[in-house]
This record gives sequence, structure tokens and C-alpha cells, in this order.
Amino acid sequence: MKELNIGKKFSTDPSGRYIDPDGDASGEAFRENYLRDAINSLEPGEKLVVIIDDGVESYGSSFLVEGFAGMVKYGYIHPKELLDKLDIRYTDEDFEFYKDKIIQYINEAKYNSEEYPRKNNI
Amino acid sequence: MKKLSKKQRDRDLRLSIKHRKGSSNNEKKLSDIVISQEWKAANKWIDEYNNNGLDITIHKKRLVEIHLPSIMNFNENYEETALHIAAIRKLTEHRNVPRKAYRLVKVDFKKLEEISTSSALVLTAELSKWDDSIRTKLKPNTEEWNCGIVKQFSELGFFDLFLVEESEKNDYVNSCSDTGISVVKYIKGRCKDKSKTRILKKCIGEIVGDKINKWTFLDCGLSEAITNVSHHAYPIKYSYSEEDKNWYLTGSYNKDTSELKVVFYDQGIGIPKSLPASDIWETILTWFSAHPAIDRKRHEVLLKAAVELDRTSTLDSDRGKGLQDLLEFVKHRGEGYLSIFSLKGLYKYSMENGKHKMKTEGFDQKIYGTLIIWSVVLK
Repeated sequence: MKELNIGKKFSTDPSGRYIDPDGDASGEAFRENYLRDAINSLEPGEKLVVIIDDGVESYGSSFLVEGFAGMVKYGYIHPKELLDKLDIRYTDEDFEFYKDKIIQYINEAKYNSEEYPRKNNI
Repeated sequence: MKKLSKKQRDRDLRLSIKHRKGSSNNEKKLSDIVISQEWKAANKWIDEYNNNGLDITIHKKRLVEIHLPSIMNFNENYEETALHIAAIRKLTEHRNVPRKAYRLVKVDFKKLEEISTSSALVLTAELSKWDDSIRTKLKPNTEEWNCGIVKQFSELGFFDLFLVEESEKNDYVNSCSDTGISVVKYIKGRCKDKSKTRILKKCIGEIVGDKINKWTFLDCGLSEAITNVSHHAYPIKYSYSEEDKNWYLTGSYNKDTSELKVVFYDQGIGIPKSLPASDIWETILTWFSAHPAIDRKRHEVLLKAAVELDRTSTLDSDRGKGLQDLLEFVKHRGEGYLSIFSLKGLYKYSMENGKHKMKTEGFDQKIYGTLIIWSVVLK
């Protein structure tokens, strides 16, 4: 079991969709620099524990869609496989909302529907 | 190839310089024409509204003084409030205008008795924009201002915009009695400044004296509002300067009513203008947009579509969820309201005793950009 603590490893202010213009705390930066590597490093049957509420105030939809559902959209992994590998944890009960959103956006994403990197982000 | 003589080379050089000068002159003439059209349109607008809702004095040399109305509030006195703020923009958005153009010399606060937090923020942003354009030459004269107004603007950080001594700022606050409303000093941010919402949380915690339940959902809305500014509010084709691409944020707490308000504002193109009109109804409205009443309706319809239909300027299927995030704070608290004013449209979502209501409205006057207001009562 591996762990990815978003607030400690990535940013306490995750926000926005793309590195340009939203910066290094964007969903794209999270997916490309952290989540993708963490998922790829898992052994068969191993899960990735993602802690979402340690020092983080909130997540906007733009971040969640690009950060998590982007894994499916760009063809890195199928939605069911990604959901099987993720174990999303929190202690603040308000963060259940974000867990549900992550699952919803992954399920709604169309596998390999876009190429990465995108030609024009905006 | 023949080697050029010095005489021939000099002649070519002169010809080349002449061509270059010629083209720049043409460009200048074109920009002069554009500026001329714009100031003439601004003059026409001022003439149309002078004594028709707009309280101004026109001095010699077409110098204009704007008298702010006694009540500025987008909820209760929208048209008059938006009209006076629009007049500031009309009179200040072009520099180097000829003497025939109206020019703003003063904004008079004397009659102003009551101003909402959101109106104060928009007015401050507008005056900040004017001050930036004339290189911080404005200076407030508060002698005849209402005391409560001085206090409210002082707390908002209005006087920090100008070159006012610290002791003078303290005098403004100390000379006024408590109005019961505490205001958070406004926060000015750019595209990547999401972390600045933590300043707001800290300041609101200080004035309320407690944590705000369900704050994460307000923060989530603010995060998306900031992302929307980065992606949609200031498009490249509108040639905004970097110094103009700002957002403004403040909050206030009324101790008597326990009402907490959080206000976010950007001066961009506005949500209705950033959306493609793809629906037949909206397309028809676009065709008729030259008519003011239809234009008003179009903004209202597009704003509603933006919030409720996952639609964005990109038309990507996985985008456009952000505006729905704005609703979450009110939804999770089960009471309060969210208002989004953008150009001539209003989208308002409110909850009372767990039941929600939605309304849209169109106005004659527009707000320059997008204004988002969250209001909840802390129990």
C-alpha cells in the first residue's frame, strides 16, 4: 500500500485546471507529476491511499476533473481500474463531498478521448 | 551582383526610413479614428444619462464631477448604483482624449449615506483602475463624507489605494462611531493567487470570532471563481493589459443581524460574453441584441445557462462544472443566497429552511465584469 498525501506532498492550495495559466498547484501538475507516477509504481493488487484533507481547504471541480479524470481522458488507465487502485481517505466529514466528486468525474470521463499534451489548453 | 555605391546605399536607406515612417503614420491615423469613435460614444452616453438618472456636474472645459447617490446597493438600487459606476468607467477608460471629450475630475461622496459591501468593492476596484491609469494621482477628501461611509471604506482598505499618511487613515476610523458592520480589507489577486483565500478566512475568523461552518464549500467556490478569471475573464483577443487582470475579494459581518457576506469581483468581459450562443433561442437573442431590452434578456439567459448547463466558452464536455461549485456553500448550509451579477444579468440562488429558489433578472445598466456575492446568517 502506497500513500499520496496531497496537502503534504503536492500543495495545500490545489486549484485550477492547467499548469498554464493556473500554475504548479493545478490538476494537470498533480496528475502528471504525482498521481500518474504513483499509480504506475503500484504492484499488482496494491492500492494507492490518497489523503485529501491534510492541510487542504478545498478542491474546485476544475482541479478534480483534470487531476483525477484526466488519467482516463488521456488514456493512461481505464476508469474501473483507476477506481480499484484508489483508496481516498479523509477525517473531515465535509471532504466526503470531494471523494464523491472524484468518483463521479472518473466514471464520467471518456477513455482516451484526448491527446496529451493538448495543443491549446484554453 | 553589383556592389552598391555609397550614394545608392544612402538613397536606399532614406527610402527605407521613409517607408517605415509612412506605415507608422497610417497606423497612428487608424488608432486616432478608433479613439475618436470611442470618446464620441462616451460623450453621447454621458449626454443621454445626464439628468436622466445620472447625477453629474459638467464644469468648464468639459470636466465632469460625478455625485454618488445616497444609497448604493446592487440588491435594492441596482440601476442607479451601476449607472454611476459605469459613468466612472466611461469617463476614464481612454487616455489622451481631445478637449472636446468629457473628462472625469472628481467623484463626490458627499450624498452617499449607505453602501453595500459589494458596491463598495466594485466602486473601489473602479477607482483603483482609474488611479492606476493616471499613475496614482488621486487623493480622497473626506471632509464632507458621512462618518459611517468613511469607516466602511477605511476598513475595506480604500484609503490604502492612495498616498495617504498612516496617521491620517487612523483619524478616519477613530472619528467614527461603531456601525455594527465589520469589513475585511479587500484582497487583490491575480490568476494563480488561490492561496490568498486563506487571508480572507483568517480575517473573517477574526471579525466573527469563530470558525465558519462549511467553509470548505465557500473556499471551493472561490477556487473556481479564480480559475474562471484565469481562463475566461480576460481573453487575449480583448487586449487587456497585465495590470488590469485582477480579481478583488472582501467580506463583511453585521453583528446586529449576524449576516456574513463574501464578495468576489473581476473586471473582465463578463460570463455572458465569454459563452458561445449555441442554443437556437440564445442565437435568436444574439441577432436582436442591438435592442437594449433583448440584450438585457440575452445576458440573463446566458448567465443561467452558464450556471446550470455545464456550458463554457471551450465547449469541452468535461468543463463548465465550476460555476456550480459556487452554489455549494449555500446548499450545504441550507440557508442564505448566492448572487452572480455579470454584465446586464443576475442569477440568484437562495435557500430558506432547506428549500431552494432560483431567479434571474435583466437590467438596463451593466456591471463591468462579474460580481459574486455569498450571504449567510451565522447562528
